[in-house]
Amino acid sequence: MITAFKASNLGLQGLAGRLHLVELPAAPTDEPGWILVEEGFTVAREHEVESLFAIGNGYAGSRASLAEGSALSAPATFAAGVFDSKPGSVPELAPIADWTRLSATINGHPLRLDRGYNLEHRRILDMRQGIFWREWRHRDEAGRITRLRALRLASLADRHLLLQCATITPENFSGSLFVDATLTGPVVQVTNSGTTIAMAVARRVMNATDRWTPSRELINGRQGLELRLGETYRLDRVVALHTSRDTGDPRDMARLHVERAIENVADLISEHRDAWLARWEASDLRIDGDPAAQRAVRFAIYHLLSAANPQDDRVSIGARSLSGTAYKGHVFWDTDIFMLPFFILTYPEAARALVMYRYHTLPAARAKAARLGYRGAFYAWESADSGEDVTPPFAVAPDGQVIRFLTGEQEQHISADVAYGVWNYWRATGDDRFLVDAGAEILIETARFWASRAKREEDDRYHIRGVIGPDEYHETIDDNAYTNCMAQWNLEVAAEIAKLVAHRWPESWQALSRGLGIVSEEPDQWLQVARDFYTGFDEQTGLFEQFRGYFGLEEIDLAAFALRTAPMDVLLGRERIQRSKIIKQPDVVMLVHLLWDRMPPEVRRANFEYYEPRCGHGSSLSPAIHALVAARLGDTALAERYFRQAAEIDLDDSRGNAAGGIHAGALGGLWQATVLGFAGLSLGGNKFEHRANLPPNWRSLSMRYQWRGQWHELTLPEGTEHGKAEDDS
Amino acid sequence: MNEPILVPLDGSKQALAALPVAKVLADIERTTLHILHVGEYEVPEEELRRRLALEAPMLNSFSVGSRVGMPAVEILQVAKEMKSRVIVMCKHSGSERARTLGRTAMKVLHDARCPIVLVPPERGARPWHLHHVLVPHDGTPSTSGALQPAAQLADRGCAELLVVHVADVKAGPTEVGSLTTPRYVDQPQHEWPAWSSEFVNRLGCICRLGQLRVRMFLAHGNTAEEILRVSETQSTDLIILAWRGIWEAPRAETLRDILRKAQCPTMIVRT
Repeated sequence: MITAFKASNLGLQGLAGRLHLVELPAAPTDEPGWILVEEGFTVAREHEVESLFAIGNGYAGSRASLAEGSALSAPATFAAGVFDSKPGSVPELAPIADWTRLSATINGHPLRLDRGYNLEHRRILDMRQGIFWREWRHRDEAGRITRLRALRLASLADRHLLLQCATITPENFSGSLFVDATLTGPVVQVTNSGTTIAMAVARRVMNATDRWTPSRELINGRQGLELRLGETYRLDRVVALHTSRDTGDPRDMARLHVERAIENVADLISEHRDAWLARWEASDLRIDGDPAAQRAVRFAIYHLLSAANPQDDRVSIGARSLSGTAYKGHVFWDTDIFMLPFFILTYPEAARALVMYRYHTLPAARAKAARLGYRGAFYAWESADSGEDVTPPFAVAPDGQVIRFLTGEQEQHISADVAYGVWNYWRATGDDRFLVDAGAEILIETARFWASRAKREEDDRYHIRGVIGPDEYHETIDDNAYTNCMAQWNLEVAAEIAKLVAHRWPESWQALSRGLGIVSEEPDQWLQVARDFYTGFDEQTGLFEQFRGYFGLEEIDLAAFALRTAPMDVLLGRERIQRSKIIKQPDVVMLVHLLWDRMPPEVRRANFEYYEPRCGHGSSLSPAIHALVAARLGDTALAERYFRQAAEIDLDDSRGNAAGGIHAGALGGLWQATVLGFAGLSLGGNKFEHRANLPPNWRSLSMRYQWRGQWHELTLPEGTEHGKAEDDS
Repeated sequence: MNEPILVPLDGSKQALAALPVAKVLADIERTTLHILHVGEYEVPEEELRRRLALEAPMLNSFSVGSRVGMPAVEILQVAKEMKSRVIVMCKHSGSERARTLGRTAMKVLHDARCPIVLVPPERGARPWHLHHVLVPHDGTPSTSGALQPAAQLADRGCAELLVVHVADVKAGPTEVGSLTTPRYVDQPQHEWPAWSSEFVNRLGCICRLGQLRVRMFLAHGNTAEEILRVSETQSTDLIILAWRGIWEAPRAETLRDILRKAQCPTMIVRT
């Protein structure tokens, strides 16, 4: 079970100030709000622990597997943007050599958790310093007690470096130690797409006299040592990782890099910690009065930061980041809609890289649209390195049926979602260079897609038929309110941006319009399509019909399934769920969230009150958005309930959901629920406003955010109910 | 004797349905069969063979024994004395057709220390093989009691192990270490393969799966009906169930339904 834990219990408190060289060159953070602790060892939970305690720096990510392995260990390290595919299957993140493996035997007896007796064993995710710690006291069958301490990190100061330090102390014996620190897997590998991944490793061992055994003496990473009672020995291992994505000769680069790094391990750790502290200075969010909420939000921020790399704008963040193999590293709307706001407001450089990824993958989106007979850009529902749609078309369901998946063809709202992210980024950062060089093109090409996709029908309205909205329980539906309204928004914004760019940067506009073949009347045509779009809105009730025919579907009372352990589509079956009003995740409510400023208050409330009881929350993205909208509507109690549910998705996982990696989109949603929901920050309009609805036990919430290049401090509650940040419009 | 498989026969034609199953299990387990008749007086072996309609060619290696007394009591006593690995018997005789289990089968099931395989009499004397072993698993460690013998049997018999998990509208198990259906299925094309793999991986922690072929099935609805549905659609040869030893309602509802309706033999393992 994951708990908060005081590092002082480890006997490491204040260690940094009095470190003997042979000790670990750092100590865990000593504040419960910054650490997660897994006590003991439950083998069945290993995959979850590996995901939750994963380390990363946006360039590389490693699961927190036990160094010596276990019956269920699944160590994996990934390099962002490096995909591989086998014939007949979609690309997936290429697993690279396991650099974390480290096993030891004492007098021939392996040191393992499943052998002997574990006197103490805990693993700590130190979110503040971006370090994974391990503390272990083990007694073997012969009564020998060994203490081990270890740290592992992916350097945030130098993203190509991965580092591991481990100490071993024989507490009641002298004996022979044999260490195997070889890497599992090839240090140089070439993917089927031709990307070379090169790792170089350097190791050294220090004994009690502070003398280092240099790496060349660790032949093939294996070494024998004679341990003396009570003395501590330390192994350092540094790995440099380069790929042909970022350098012409990754092997040489890795080799040179690691040779320098091994000489300065303490500095390397220090620089890494400083980089994390600086990152937290900008991105932290402090909640006073609710330690569980504090920890959950920090956990979300930690994993979002671990996945981001402002230095590489040709990669994005997959649904499970670099923390696991699930979802194959594929990028979904999760990034643009759920994660991006965090980066826009606290790490705009990383946000820029994410929206630029969408610019670099624009050619593939154009090709997809053209292939289906449309103009403009139809983005991939699942995207990897090139931006081609890599959605698996078929999968074997657990009931043995082979199911065809239509999301790649029908979840067309992705194009508007990408546009929404681009628009949000530009509006919050004021990054005009981005808008002119890349953003405008995305907005225009996505608008063109909608203008060609929507068809004017007999009622003189534009319709989109045969899609899937965010609620994936209902497939091949007509006039999904979310899709249509977001398309409408996309068309309007593109027209507005076209006029803005033409007015403010006429030369750039000339080049852009010439390059894209934009005729002068085209923006007006977009506006006309937007004006005549069918949205399913009923003036009488104030409700959007989620899609044509939704209101006539079967009502099923979700209260009867309140104790369920499975998603509703599993319990009812695909056919029945399609005939019912039960939805998987917010669809119209999502629209309320994203287009908040375009809806009058009574419409927001009416739609939330109608759709919220019909949502089965079959997606991890669902609870956070409900928390957000409930908070903005002033229903703090309901918002808090959904917030807890969202916080538990990874942290209290007991159903194997997190085994394949953390839910990065849900974590982004949790941050949004806190900041845009409870704190009430609004990205709408040109003003940056907030209207706080904090849960009663939250004594205060404080954070920093950046709005158009300026940092702002926000502390809630303020003296007045309504606070207003600087108006930079 | 090497932990033989015990096959009680009462002389009825229905009871002979146990023999083909017992024979294959004995071959897989590389052990012998011991055929037991319990009656009111001792019967010589030749007479017993004739009375039980046993034909020598159909059995490679078996011994025959006769006891006097109450059938269930004697079956249990012989099983104990011979350290029987498993008891294979018919669910009921012809006169007990309306019952889930006959009186003798019920008593043996209740008190046997070893697993018991109950064979529907409708099988008759048709040959039996073991290609697919089905084991339902509700995600709780206690259900895992059936997993180990199921995996071992499937492994030795070169059969495929089919694991069925039935999602329920009721609250999930509270037992520590339980693994149930995922609460969230964001993208089924990714989630289901990942979940199935995780489920099987966790099963692999409970028992050694090695190179065993394992397929995972997720069903929803009435537990017994779904187990039976998967069993029939996948042409299962043997269902293996864990049982805590309480027969009375509302416990053992699934077990009772499966024993009543299963068309293939069912092995019950006490946990």
